[in-house]
Amino acid sequence: MKILIVDDDPIIILSCRRILEAEGHELRVANTVDEGESFLVEESFDLMITDIKMPGADGFEMIRRAGKARPEMPVLVMTGYLMQETLDEGASLGVTDYIAKPFTPDELLRAIEGV
Amino acid sequence: MGLPFFKIHSLRFKLIASMISISLFIGFISMLIGVSFLYRSVVNEAGARVGQDLNVARVLYDRQIECVRLALELSASTPSLADALSSGNEAEAAGALNAVALKLNPDILGICDSQGRIIYRHTAEIQGNALNAAPNPLVVKALESQASAAGSLVMDNQELALENPELARFASIRVRENPEDAEAHPHEMTKALMVGAAAPVFSGGRLAGVIYGGFLLNKDTQIVDKIGETVFKNEKYKGRSIGTATIFYQNLRVATSVKDSSGNRAIGTFASEEVNSRVLGKGEKWTDRAKVLDEWYITAYEPLTDIMGRRVGMLYVGVLEAKYNDIRTRAISVFVKIILASAAIAIILGWLITRRIMAPVSHLIQASAEISRGNFTPDIGPISRDDIGQLQRKFLKMTTALKEREESQKAQSEIRLIQSEKQASVGKLAAGVAHEINNPLTAVLTFTHMILRRTDLPGEVRSDLETVASQTERVRRIVKSLLDFSRQSALTPESLDVNSLIQESVKLLENQALIKGVSLSFRGADDLPLFTLDHNQCQSVFINMIINALDATPSGGKISIQTRKASLENAKGVEIKITDTGTGIAPEHMDKLFDPFFTTKEVGKGTGLGLAVSAGIIQRHGGSISVHSKLGEGTVFTIWLPMADNPE
Repeated sequence: MKILIVDDDPIIILSCRRILEAEGHELRVANTVDEGESFLVEESFDLMITDIKMPGADGFEMIRRAGKARPEMPVLVMTGYLMQETLDEGASLGVTDYIAKPFTPDELLRAIEGV
Repeated sequence: MGLPFFKIHSLRFKLIASMISISLFIGFISMLIGVSFLYRSVVNEAGARVGQDLNVARVLYDRQIECVRLALELSASTPSLADALSSGNEAEAAGALNAVALKLNPDILGICDSQGRIIYRHTAEIQGNALNAAPNPLVVKALESQASAAGSLVMDNQELALENPELARFASIRVRENPEDAEAHPHEMTKALMVGAAAPVFSGGRLAGVIYGGFLLNKDTQIVDKIGETVFKNEKYKGRSIGTATIFYQNLRVATSVKDSSGNRAIGTFASEEVNSRVLGKGEKWTDRAKVLDEWYITAYEPLTDIMGRRVGMLYVGVLEAKYNDIRTRAISVFVKIILASAAIAIILGWLITRRIMAPVSHLIQASAEISRGNFTPDIGPISRDDIGQLQRKFLKMTTALKEREESQKAQSEIRLIQSEKQASVGKLAAGVAHEINNPLTAVLTFTHMILRRTDLPGEVRSDLETVASQTERVRRIVKSLLDFSRQSALTPESLDVNSLIQESVKLLENQALIKGVSLSFRGADDLPLFTLDHNQCQSVFINMIINALDATPSGGKISIQTRKASLENAKGVEIKITDTGTGIAPEHMDKLFDPFFTTKEVGKGTGLGLAVSAGIIQRHGGSISVHSKLGEGTVFTIWLPMADNPE
């Protein structure tokens, strides 16, 4: 799969890379929402994984823009603590699934398969 | 004092009213006693006085008689008269007598010889045979006793006519009304009541004759008016004479100063029957109040006896009672004025006193109103020095205490507020830290697992890495629990059915129980009302409890949940019992059961925050949680939640 990962923390990017590249997925990485948007505009993806808590525009903003650019693309949200508000907002934006941080490689892979 | 007069009218009114009633009561009692006492003594005095007046009247009456006697005695002793009489010289005797007549001016005057034959009448011609005329009793007595005789006597009209024809006509009295026991009094009373005397004339030691004289009392005005003058000084009261006097023939007024309604003397009227029987009949002196004509008098009567000792009439004096009545009326009016004045004084005094007393009380009333409006330092006015002052001081103490309590309560709520803010910031800190940890932790976890995927790891390396991985997992769990724990949010209570909430939780864990082979059952009471609880937080509690039970209970065991209505310390609520047949809790662990991070699970299995979080949620609902356990047999957790929302 071609996957877009959006997170401001490089170690998260690195971890995801380590897991997904080992499975043979094609990856694009973005540190900010704007970066991510520019990727979405140019290329199509099978999945976008995004963090919520980011400086500047947050994950929800990313999802909103993704909804505009690539409406059919599934979105996986990484979150440190799943709260009701997060679920609610995500539901209204069309989030496909959530994965809690920290996660093991198996958990991430399982989540991707579910999508 | 800004309060209108009757605002505290009940108390003020009562005070004044009681003062007035006391003064009125005392006043009236004294008046009644005083007036009656006064009146009685006055009346007694009047009666005594009238009795004495009667004596004086009697003296005047007797004096008239004595006058005649003296004049006649004097005359009888003149030698010329004695000589003329003894020699039978009537003309000379008459001449000597005329001097007396001139001086005395009696109504009848005459001379008898030594046999009692009337030989000369001053005021009438000797008619016919003088021997036919019976000698009057005075003469008889004088002849018998050879001494002068004087007194009252009654003459028939004929007798009088012989002596003084004109007078006889004058003497008859028209009877004005009939007495009750009609003793057939003639319409005209013709008897004559007289006073007179007879004096013997001596010549040469022998009785030569008797001279006699007298006055007619019928229609006389001299005596009665003399009495009025002497005794009563002609004193008048409201146009009427205070004192009156009467001479009665039998019980008929023949001479009187009592006037009737037309102002004429009431001659020919009768005395009362009682007077008649007592005075005339029994011969008693009588003093009492009586009605004379139409007025009430204080009266005194005594009988008049003639020279033969027979009762022939009565002498009366009376004093107008009205004058004494007026004394009584005046006394009463003075008393009444005093009473009214004292009542007025009582009102004024009462009003002044109550004002003095009420001033602090009304201040206190106003102050109480101020307190309920929230002002704890009201003005209660100056402290008075009497008992009310004590009340005022205690009141001040009370307001001070209220004020302090109010302030300490405010302080407390501030402290609580600050505490909860502090808790919130600690929570924020924990959440912040946890979030920060999550990312690096992800990397550690990820890369460790990636390494473990390799197949070329030597056994030791593998096992070491596995240790790293499992401990990292543990850290993950701790962080999650920390986030859970710090997420102790405020309750968002809603009205919900406890049974259905528990049922939801049970449903969520049914499968897990089934997989483990543990029976999970719920029996809810059917009389539970709706409760005000936070849905999600309470559900997390129930889930946590069931998970704990599941973890503790081996396959084949039972977990049963029950609810029932229960009250705790007068508050209505629900009791939820979670019973398991699991391994139980050791007694030494009981104390620490609800402490955060306490867990009996294997290392790496539980974080120990579940019960702590649940206990916190229950506490914030105002409920309580307790546990009973027996090692090897099972555990019962009992949760009580109140019906009404009492968050701390």
